[in-house]
Order: sequence, then C-alpha cells, then structure tokens
Amino acid sequence: MAKAVGRGIAAIEYPTGMNQNGDPSQAWIKLKMDGRVDVFAGTVDIGQGSKTVHSQIVADAIGVPMDWVTMDTSNTDSSAFCMGTFASRGTFIGGNAVRLAAEKVRSRILEIGGELLEVDAGDLEIADGEVHVKGSPDKKVGMGDIAGFATFVKGELISGQGTALKEYATLDPETGAVTVPPHSAISYAACAAEVEVDTETGDVRVLKMSQVYDVGRAINPTMVEGQIEGGAMQGLGLGLLETVYPYYPSPDHRGSGYGSYFVPSMEELPELECIIIENPSSDGPFGAKSIGEMANNAQPPAIATAIYDAVGVWVTEMPITPEKVLRALRAKEEGRPESRTDGKYIRYDEELSINAVASADSAVLFAP
Amino acid sequence: MSIEFTVNGTAQVVEAEPLTPLLHVLREDLSITSPKASCQHGGCGACTVIVDGEARRSCLMPVEAARGTAIRTVEGLAPAGGELTPLQQAWIHHYAAQCGFCASGFLMAATAYLEQGGTDDRDAIVEALGGHACRCTGYVKIIAAVQAAARGETFDLEETAVGANTTIKGVER
Amino acid sequence: MKVVGQRLPRYDAGAHVTAGTRYVDDVRIPGTLWAKALRSPHHNAEILSIDTSKAEAMEGVFAVVTHADVHKNVHGHIEGLGVPGDEPLLAATHVRYLGQPIAAVAAVDEATALRATEAIEVTYRELEPLFDIRRAFEPNAPQAHDNQNWYPDFEGQMDRRQIRKGDVDWAFEQADHIVTGVYRPYPMEHVPMETQVTQVVPEADGRYTVYSATQAMYFSMGVVAAHLDWPLNRLKFIGGTTGSGFGGKVDTASETITVLLAVKAQRPVRWRWTREEEFLCSSTRAGWHMEVADAITKDGWILGRKMLTLHDAGAYSRFSPYGVTKHSFHHTGAYTIPNLEFNGYVVYTNRVPSTAMRGFGVTSVSFATEIHIERCARAIGMDPLEFRLKNANRLGDTSPNGVVYTDPSTVPVVKAIAEATGHELPADYRTMTAAMRSGDDLPEHLVGQLGNPEDH
Repeated sequence: MAKAVGRGIAAIEYPTGMNQNGDPSQAWIKLKMDGRVDVFAGTVDIGQGSKTVHSQIVADAIGVPMDWVTMDTSNTDSSAFCMGTFASRGTFIGGNAVRLAAEKVRSRILEIGGELLEVDAGDLEIADGEVHVKGSPDKKVGMGDIAGFATFVKGELISGQGTALKEYATLDPETGAVTVPPHSAISYAACAAEVEVDTETGDVRVLKMSQVYDVGRAINPTMVEGQIEGGAMQGLGLGLLETVYPYYPSPDHRGSGYGSYFVPSMEELPELECIIIENPSSDGPFGAKSIGEMANNAQPPAIATAIYDAVGVWVTEMPITPEKVLRALRAKEEGRPESRTDGKYIRYDEELSINAVASADSAVLFAP
Repeated sequence: MSIEFTVNGTAQVVEAEPLTPLLHVLREDLSITSPKASCQHGGCGACTVIVDGEARRSCLMPVEAARGTAIRTVEGLAPAGGELTPLQQAWIHHYAAQCGFCASGFLMAATAYLEQGGTDDRDAIVEALGGHACRCTGYVKIIAAVQAAARGETFDLEETAVGANTTIKGVER
Repeated sequence: MKVVGQRLPRYDAGAHVTAGTRYVDDVRIPGTLWAKALRSPHHNAEILSIDTSKAEAMEGVFAVVTHADVHKNVHGHIEGLGVPGDEPLLAATHVRYLGQPIAAVAAVDEATALRATEAIEVTYRELEPLFDIRRAFEPNAPQAHDNQNWYPDFEGQMDRRQIRKGDVDWAFEQADHIVTGVYRPYPMEHVPMETQVTQVVPEADGRYTVYSATQAMYFSMGVVAAHLDWPLNRLKFIGGTTGSGFGGKVDTASETITVLLAVKAQRPVRWRWTREEEFLCSSTRAGWHMEVADAITKDGWILGRKMLTLHDAGAYSRFSPYGVTKHSFHHTGAYTIPNLEFNGYVVYTNRVPSTAMRGFGVTSVSFATEIHIERCARAIGMDPLEFRLKNANRLGDTSPNGVVYTDPSTVPVVKAIAEATGHELPADYRTMTAAMRSGDDLPEHLVGQLGNPEDH
C-alpha cells in the first residue's frame, strides 16, 4: 500500500443574478409611529442568511440600530415580489431592493426632520435612530418624533419602495452577443486542494483546502464563511463522492438512501483556510458581490489536479470515485498513454468522446 | 396498544401500534416537532432524541422500545423563557446552524456527548457526531460550537465568533 | 453603530436551537390528510389506461387526482422566458422517466394513502429508453421525448446555443499546440435536509393557503396559478422558512398537486416526500458532456477555443435551456480568449429531469476548463498559475458575449492563492494587477479586442 500526496489549484468566476437579467426583486418599508422600521420583501432565506443580511443593509442605509428593523418575508399577501432565491441573487439583487427602499425612507425622514428642526434636509444626517444637524450632534430630533409627527400631525405614512431590476439582455442567436451585460457583478474565487491518494484502494482524502473569494464586501463575514465552508464540503462531495448514477449513463445501482448515496460527512472534513477579498463592486449594496453558488465550483477541478499531481493520472469524469482512480492507475501501469500526439494536436480522453461512442451518422460529432 | 413514557419530564400515554417509529408518535401524536422526519432510515441523525441518557435515532426506534423510558428533546433543553444551555448558546455564537433543519438532532447528540463527559477533543467529537448530516455548514462551525461548549466557555449571543483560519483583506486596484 | 460588516447572528438562531423554527412539516392543522403519489415503474412507456375507481372507493380516501383534473396540465416553468412547456404535471399519455407522477391520493393517514395509490390500475406499453446523451443524435436512437431528442427552441429558432467570437479558424491555424479533452460531471442530488413538502389549507373565503418550502414564493405561486388557471389572489403562499434547497426547491415539485388534492377533498392536505422519493424521483443536478479544444502558443497564450457541450436534461426541459445558455456565457472561465466557437445542446434522456443546483450551468464548465487549463499549461511546460495569470480577465477584456469586464478579479485571487500556498511567482507576475493590458501583457491577438471599462 502506498499513499501519495498531491496539490492542485483552480480559479473560477461566477455571475450575479439571473442570466440575461430581467429578474426583479422588490421591497417596501414603512415606519411605525415610534420610528421602528418594518420591511416587507419576498426573498426566501433558505439558510444562507439573506434575511439577516438584508436587515443589516436596511439598518445602515437608514441609520437605525439593527434591533429597530423587523423583516417580513413570510407570505405573498404582504411581501413584495422577489424572483426567488437562486442565481446567487439574494444579497446583491434582493439587497439592492431593500437598500433602494431604505434610501427613500431615509430621504423622507430627513425632509420631515428638516421641517421640525427648521433646517435644510441636506444639512442633516441620521445615526442610531436620531436625525441631527451635521456637525451639531446636539441639534437633533428622534425618529420616533418624526414618525409620530408624520402620523398624527401631517397625516402621512412614511414609507418607501424599491425595485432592483436590470434590463433583459437579448442575444444574437448566431453569435451569442448581447445588447447589455447579461448579469450583475462577477465574483471570482480560487481553491488550492491537497489530497492523499491510496494507490491500493483508489481512495482519495482531501487533507486541506485553501480558498480565496472576492465577495466585494462581506456584509456579514460569519455568513460569508458559512457559505465558503459549506460550499467547500459540497465541492468535495461533487469532486469525490456524490452521484445518483454511479455508472452514468446507466441508470443501474442508483442510490436511494444515505447508505448508497454519499453525502460528505464530518469525517471527510479537511483543514480549511478561508481568505476573503473585498474588491468592491460598483453597483452592489455596500459594494457586495455574490458568494452563494460559486462556493462549490472551484474544489472539484482543484481536487482532480491534486490527484494528477499525486499519482499522475487524470480522471475527468466526476465524482472521482476509488474505482475510477484504480482504473486510471491500472491503465497507467499497463503503459496506456493518457494522451495521443497527432501533429500539433495533443488529444486526451478520446475514448470518452462522442466521436468514439456515437455512430458516424450521428447529427452531432466534434471535430476541432 | 397503550404505551407510557415521559417526554421532557411530562408523563405521556399514547395509543400506538408497537412498531410505530417513536419519531412518528412524537411528531404526529404529541406535536413535539423538534425531531425531524428527514430520511427516516437512520442515515442522517435529524430525528435524534435522548432516551434514558443515550442519543437515539427516533425514526429507527419502535415506540414499544420506549416504554417506561425518559425521553428528552430540544423542547426540553432549556426551561421555557429560561437561560439556554451552554451548547445552545454555542450554536448561536458559532453560527452552527444555517437552515437549521439538522440542528435538533445535532444538539441532542452533542448534549448526550457532553453529559457523558465528552471533551473538546476534535476526533472524539467527530466520532460522536460523524453520523449526522448537515448540508449547509460544512461542519466547521458545528465542531467549533461543541468544542467551545465542552471547554465551558461563555458566549456573547449578540455577535458570532470569528471563523478559524479566516483572513479578510482589501485589494489594490 | 454601523452593522454592515458586523458578525451578527442569524435572526432565527435562537429559534433554531429551541425548536422554535416552524418548517412546513411542523405546521399542525386539524383534519389534515396525507398525500401520496403513484409514480411510473418504467423509464419510458406509453400509458394505455388509468383506472382510479378502486382507490376512490376505499374507506378513508378523500381525493384522487390525475391529469384529467388539471386545467393546464403542461406548463413550462420558464414559459415567460420563451421556453415552451413540455412536461405534464401528471402523466397522461406517456411516462418518460422512472418515478414520474401519474396520480395522487389524499387520505386519512399515510398508510391508507399508500394503499390507495397501489389500488390505482395503470396499463403501459414499454418503450426503449435512451440514457446516453452521446447517442441521442443517431438516426436510430430511442425516442426519449415527445419530439426530437434535443431542444429545438433557442430564441425560437435554433436547436443549439451558439457562441461565435473572433476568428477561431485563424487561432487554430496559428496555434503551436491544440489540446483536446473530454469532461463529464455526473448527475447528483441536492439532498436538502428537508425533503419536498407542502401543506395546503382550503380557507372559508375560497382562498387556498399554501405552506411551501419553495426557494421562490412568487415563482411557485405563479406555477400553481398557471396550472389551475387561477388569479394570483386565490392563493396565499406562506414561506420563507426552508430546510435548505440548493436549487432543488425552485422546481415547485409538490405544491401544485397538493393544491389539487385540497381542492378536490376540501380538507387540508400535507404532502411530504420520503427520502427515497427525494433521491429517486426529485430533480437532480444535470449530467454534462463537454469536449474542449484549445489553440495555444508555446509561450502560453490561449488564442482560441472550440467547445461542444451536451447537457443531460432528463425527460423534460425545465430550466435546462437557461442553464446551457448561462454555461455558454461562461465557457472561458476566468480567462480571456478572443476567438471562440461554442455549440451547446439540451439533450433529453429517460431519466428524472435535471434542474438548477448551486452553480447552475457553471459548475460543469469550471470543472472542464480548469482541468483543461492545467493540461494546456503542462503541455508547454509552463507553471499553471503563471498560465492563468497571463490569460486572466483584465479590465477592458471582453467576455464570450462581448461584454467589457469592469471589475475582474482573476489576478488578485490567483495571486492570493499563490501566496497562501507558498507558490513562488516570478517578479512580473507578483506585480501584476487587473489593470488594462499594455506592453507584454497585450499580445498581437488581443490588440483591437479591448473595450473601455469607463464606458460601462
């Protein structure tokens, strides 16, 4: 039995929002008469933390303590429209919707505060739920007084709504060229994986993963870590463990439970190092970019490369199961080369190609 | 058939077929919903409860086998309106639950682990909790939470812990 | 105090640790019935007859629904994006995958519901199934779908998603080496800890309250309303609490059928899928087949890329055309390649339809192109990190669709990973930034290709 250690890296990019845009998120905000802030939005928090992140955005965009903000994302009678929690759009697009609504509420608070303080609204700022004259923190009025004045004297509900929507990007069906950028900010990431390959069993253990993510701005760094750590384990599952069809494309031996489908467990957890880069986007809330989906994209190729580094075989069908590693090692032992040089062509994986599997009269083949 | 046991200190008498899973009786007959019907074949741990001091998967336990036992669930960890247990506090401070669906099972298994003298030893924690699935967190913060509780740390519930091995930096443009 | 950038706990962290978070399956409505589905035992078959009479006559059965109960049985999830619907809510004339729902039952308890599904009599004529997307284009391939084996409606006119940029023939002529490879990620499950689950309550005012684990309340409400031809105000979705999804709970897989059962039974109905159903019958991440050919120079430039992608949609389209389009937009990864020829097909097979999953359309291409980049770098004996930095997306570079990059981060993330792993880079790479190309970083093949990021 021999164990070989190898390292590999991968770098990736991932867009924010639905491809080609056209996916609105909306929010509306009203003030209670004591100045407390009620936010109504439709973004579903599936565990990633959007509801908390949105509350943080609203708190700072208006200038109130976090515990003044109540978010209702619970139902379609009161919540504003949101396209949904997918396409890594929660923080960025849902976040922009609540930010835009909050900015409108803030403007109105400042206008009414200006009336009460008899100064121009432009000379005011809001902090910790109080409106004060810039440079004169003692000349101030509380948001409760402003909201009460609006409700009981002016007869006004202080409210604001926001919609985050980018124009749909039509594309040329021949070339794919688009009329406008077909997404919001692009996030980038890199992952370095260190693996140990057991050349007798084909088993691969990931020993360590270092990961770098440009998230623009970490609105809640702990939740960013949560995405990165959870994504790392899903990426590990993708790379090494998980498939519903172990002998794809055959439907045979399909796993129907945890005993036959391998979800990454605590025992597979490698050492993780997490580097968050803040390279702000121009149009995300507080400079944020997305993090959710990209978090499981860099690990599989990094692991595949680390396996190559360790034992000198490429496995390009994933998950990279022990069986596939052993088959590749056997081919190497038998002297079967992984690539074929043909003039200036270096051809890998020819046995997997559609050209090798389909008959010659297939309507689609690949001849670069 | 009539079967008696206690749940979180309250005596219960249920009418059930003896092979009915304890999970089903807790959820559907007693409306104790912290144990989750996630896989119902013993594979994920989300239905874990403590039976006479031992962490058990309630989906695999026939209700007959629970006769006369003392069952504990998340509902009984902290007194209503009272202080959370250190482990519950650790779960909050270390952001050990995202969607939260696995949390009940993990909490009960980890409670049993700590009550039986479990320490902050990482390998021992993995041995005790390795059969529980979490699809969101990647387990890093779950292990950190159990370790912190085992060490008897106190927790700030207004803020979460800085992740181990994390660096945040700007970029020169 | 500012809170952006603060490590605040989840709003529901306290609820999570005290059993206070109420998921759909934790909602308790008196009189709730259990739902179960009858699912196809075949991969591909014609349905000759469906007889529900024995199930309907069973004690404790309150409703049985089939395709005949659905106003608009075939509705596409993204018809609004120009992708025609092709999937029946409940199979009518054909079953195209093992586990496809044909009928559903609401009964007084789970065991009765299960027995009732078993009492439904369906006769089939089995057809040969298709599983390998590489064989779908053969003249004699089994028919996996009602029409041809691949999606014909990109932009209402194309049977594939194309990208054409620059002069790829020039690039392949000029290249010192052309490296080809094949990459095949297999389908996988989302495995959310909470399975698909819906609880529906008929209200006294004629509305229906839908407790849903969906990732997208309005989207799912729209799907239900379209199948039933209802205005949106007949439905109230209660959601926002989900035991994770990862893309699989965009599918609206359980909501519509549960509403149909509640309408027919006029009782509250809960449908919670078993883990076996989740593994065997719920949508998966797709399988992909990607062939990549890169034209490279011996000093490390990627001049051009040709790529063929086959996407295993399973039996119906769902979000697959969207996924392949997104895939095509990102098929150069974090790098700038000026000459491109990409063809991507959505291919039908007789397996569970695939759907969105974390990284939809791009996880596959990241796997393919990152391994391919490594192979290319090794083919010319160049450090793979330097190869990446050389071809990195830079300010002013353009994407496969001609979009000018305004804040690309390939350079900072690759440099950061080099630093984190102790990988020594030569001086000119250590000082590289994402700034616009000039000098040695602007080779002849990229001259005239750059846009002005200030304009965007």
